Amino acid sequence: MSTPTLTRPKAQQVERPTTTHRSTGWKKLGWVLFFLLPSAIPLFVFTLVPMVSSLWVSLHKWNLISPMQWVGLDNYTNLLTDPMTRRVFLHTLIYVAGYLPLVYAGGLGLALVLNQRLKGRAFLRATYFLPVVTSWVVVALVWKWLLNPANGLVNQVLGFFGVPGPGWWTDPHWALPAVILSSAWKDLGFVMVILLAGLQAIPSDVREAALVDGANAWQRFWRITLPLLSPSTFFVVVISLINGFQVFDQVYVMTGGGPSGSSQVVVGQIYDLTFRYGRAGEASALSWILFAVILVITAFQIRGQRRWVHYA
Amino acid sequence: MRRLWLYAAVLAGAAIMLFPFLWTVITSITPEGSLADGPTLIVHNPTLDAYRALMDAVPIWRILVNSLLIAIASTLFQLVTGSMAAYGFARLHFPLKNVIFGCYLATLMVPLQVLVVPLFIEMKTLNLQDTYFALLAPTIASAFGVFLLRQAVTAVPAELDEAATIDGAGHLRIFTTIVLPLIRPALATVAVFAFMGSWNSFLWPLVVIRSPEFMTLPLGLSTVQGQFTTQWDVVMAGSVVSIVPIAVVYLLAQRHIIAGVAHTGIK
Amino acid sequence: MRLLKFAAVSALSLTAALALTACGQGSATKEAAAPDGKSVVRYMNFSSNDGHEKDLTAIVNAFQTANPDITVQVETVPYADYFTKLQTAVAGGTAADAFELNYENFVTYASNGSLAELKNVDSSTYKKTLYDAFNSGGKQYGVPESFSNVVLFYNKAMFKQAGVAEPTADWTWKDEQAAAAKLTNKATKTWGDYQPVSYNEFYKVLAQNGGEFLNADRTEATFNSPQGVEAAKFLVGKVGKTMPTEADGAGTPDFDSKLFKSGKLAMWHTGIWMFSALDGVKFDWDVVVEPGNTQKASAMFANGLVVNAASKNADAAQKWITYLASSDETTKTRLASSWELPPVADETKLKSYLDQPKPANREAVFTALEAPVLPPVIERQQEMQDAVTQELTAAAAGRKTVEKALADAQSKVNGLLKK
Repeated sequence: MSTPTLTRPKAQQVERPTTTHRSTGWKKLGWVLFFLLPSAIPLFVFTLVPMVSSLWVSLHKWNLISPMQWVGLDNYTNLLTDPMTRRVFLHTLIYVAGYLPLVYAGGLGLALVLNQRLKGRAFLRATYFLPVVTSWVVVALVWKWLLNPANGLVNQVLGFFGVPGPGWWTDPHWALPAVILSSAWKDLGFVMVILLAGLQAIPSDVREAALVDGANAWQRFWRITLPLLSPSTFFVVVISLINGFQVFDQVYVMTGGGPSGSSQVVVGQIYDLTFRYGRAGEASALSWILFAVILVITAFQIRGQRRWVHYA
Repeated sequence: MRRLWLYAAVLAGAAIMLFPFLWTVITSITPEGSLADGPTLIVHNPTLDAYRALMDAVPIWRILVNSLLIAIASTLFQLVTGSMAAYGFARLHFPLKNVIFGCYLATLMVPLQVLVVPLFIEMKTLNLQDTYFALLAPTIASAFGVFLLRQAVTAVPAELDEAATIDGAGHLRIFTTIVLPLIRPALATVAVFAFMGSWNSFLWPLVVIRSPEFMTLPLGLSTVQGQFTTQWDVVMAGSVVSIVPIAVVYLLAQRHIIAGVAHTGIK
Repeated sequence: MRLLKFAAVSALSLTAALALTACGQGSATKEAAAPDGKSVVRYMNFSSNDGHEKDLTAIVNAFQTANPDITVQVETVPYADYFTKLQTAVAGGTAADAFELNYENFVTYASNGSLAELKNVDSSTYKKTLYDAFNSGGKQYGVPESFSNVVLFYNKAMFKQAGVAEPTADWTWKDEQAAAAKLTNKATKTWGDYQPVSYNEFYKVLAQNGGEFLNADRTEATFNSPQGVEAAKFLVGKVGKTMPTEADGAGTPDFDSKLFKSGKLAMWHTGIWMFSALDGVKFDWDVVVEPGNTQKASAMFANGLVVNAASKNADAAQKWITYLASSDETTKTRLASSWELPPVADETKLKSYLDQPKPANREAVFTALEAPVLPPVIERQQEMQDAVTQELTAAAAGRKTVEKALADAQSKVNGLLKK
């Protein structure tokens, strides 16, 4: 077995912090294909191909039950001039802007607390995760009850402090905040689980070292925990934005987009257009407009990550 | 003292989190349980009638087995395809890497509602509609899993790979013996979400499945809601049946998250 | 580590197993190996879901006995998901040979060429209004399968206790409003009346007030008329006065049936499909034809049966749907199981329906048929319904005046008619 003796000096010569230096040319390509194809093939066949078909559909007038008619870019121009499009994008934007800070701050707090040695920690974590797995139908019913304008728990508590509670899901100005609140509540456990996995990955000796250096809890959090958690944070922010822009289920079951369309979001409109209004072509066009928006935002985040995401 | 307050707050929060689930359970065992009165935590004359009604209405064991099989298969596939891709993106260097990774992420950016019809037509063309495979196909790989695992792999110190390379280890060995054990918490997390995604999926099975023997749990549960009336106790019994398995999966996965860290002990 | 190896090995073996078995199609897709001369008719429906599956099976069995060369393969999908599934199936070319459509959706499917024209149907067996409803452009694209209508349910005990005279068939809106006011007690959360503020209720009260929703050739909306404004004011005016508001829970699933069953609702405008849901209630209740204003009008809903234009078994499919629509076996099964009513012309066949005990005044169901009003339909039906309901809801919540809401609704509907 002469391989080890051959590799050793070679590896020592090249002092780059990567592990790919041995593989070159075809061999390297072979490894890339080996690691990527198992995911790339199914994603290509079962997601990218339908995506391209929907791009094709977006250039047609189609109600699903009769043949498609070519309309070129009409669907796009119609959507871009329709005030409805602006409204649903605005509602979606408000949702994301309200939801993301709430769910991240809450999830981070939970993860930090439940990463400590607390009694019944496993049970507590499971409890906080329970809403994530509970169906939106049930969660929406509970929240509609909690946020009932007349006798809901939230407004009763507000009333106790002398604050008149709003009309929540019956009021066009408060329907979206009601959806935001309940969504953030439901997804706390999701963020918690991701950040917990990130916290677990922080080597304990790093923290011990900081302790020895005399850093206090606050300093340890800002200088060690948060930076080392940044890959997880990056993931949470990117994924929450991608998912947040596609918010649908909770709106559908809680407000149905109402009252008076005041909480209708982009994907709600896409669903209605496709399956209820027989306007699949416009639905596809709308989803490609949404795609463009999400893509640009995600691209900015990926470019910006160098400034704040610390990889090991 | 501060710790005690914190603990009390966490417990109170937990109670709020537990509440919808408790309400679900309670409605399911209340005779003619209804939601119209608002939540209650008191049960008079608890009964399992709703569960019996559920078993009369749907072939519950058959659909549970279907859902379980598909969810387990989808989870295993996503762990394998996801961790491999994650290693590829985090450790290999190749041209257009960021563009390809962008393409992966792009698959998350078009809503399912608009993909369902083209995907169904594609399946029909491949003559794969109404099969187990059709249920599984869209969840064999997910960019969500790839992304989460990639973040975890990048957090593994490169010096570990270095050392292994010096010892003559190739990519496959580094991947299986160094990287995978160290990203166990992330793998367990992906497992939970992959299982959940498949377990709760509704729109795609609705569209692609026609034969009763392939029916999954969410499809089966939807049939207990009538056009004009809903028996909420039965619906809630169905909810309990669908929540419990995921909760179990989470508890199992959580054990692995903790065990993973305890055993590897990164130095 | 062992776990991961296990996962990898399992995934590999699963792939192998899947490659071998999982691509096999299910019983409903595999072309049943029908012997020569036999055909399989696939039938998709929603109305048997949640309670009437066995009744449909009984009808299928009777049909197959009478037609040994045809096998019917039933696929039942809940109403809420039915049209999602149907549209996707039509788009993918996998739709069933025969399927069920409610009247509101029939027009869309008929005008898009998705349905096969039925030939040589014996129209005399069906109630004429119902039969004609499934005619589009002079061609018969479907047969009526069943119908149901809306009557006024009332809690006899509450009327007695309050000393208010019970509703009669001669009641008008005024009588209803006066009684509802007396029967409402907000302190005890008991309500005099419940009638959803929605498209379905609006076109009906409009008819009760002598208004027209669309002009004769269905090219323009005409509901924003003095009659329309008065009708909408009647409907919207109930909210918060004699009828619970959204914040009280109105509009949440099963809110109204629960309220009525718990004895806290005196009058309830709802469909006869609720009869069986009220089986075990403790107080005495009855039904009566809904009050009108200038004239009587009762909402009638119909389901129809159609044959897929792409079906290769159109003849067998037509045989099946006409059997399902009008055979004596179906009529008997429907009446015995309090399913929706069969559309037969010969009312003596419906007699057994009247013999059932509760509600006592079952006759009202047929009296209501004397002045039926079918939902106004246009090609973009769902959008119209959503628009009208949304505007009326805004008026009910006080965000708009009734006049403004109706004007806005009318211009929206006219926009839908133009495109």
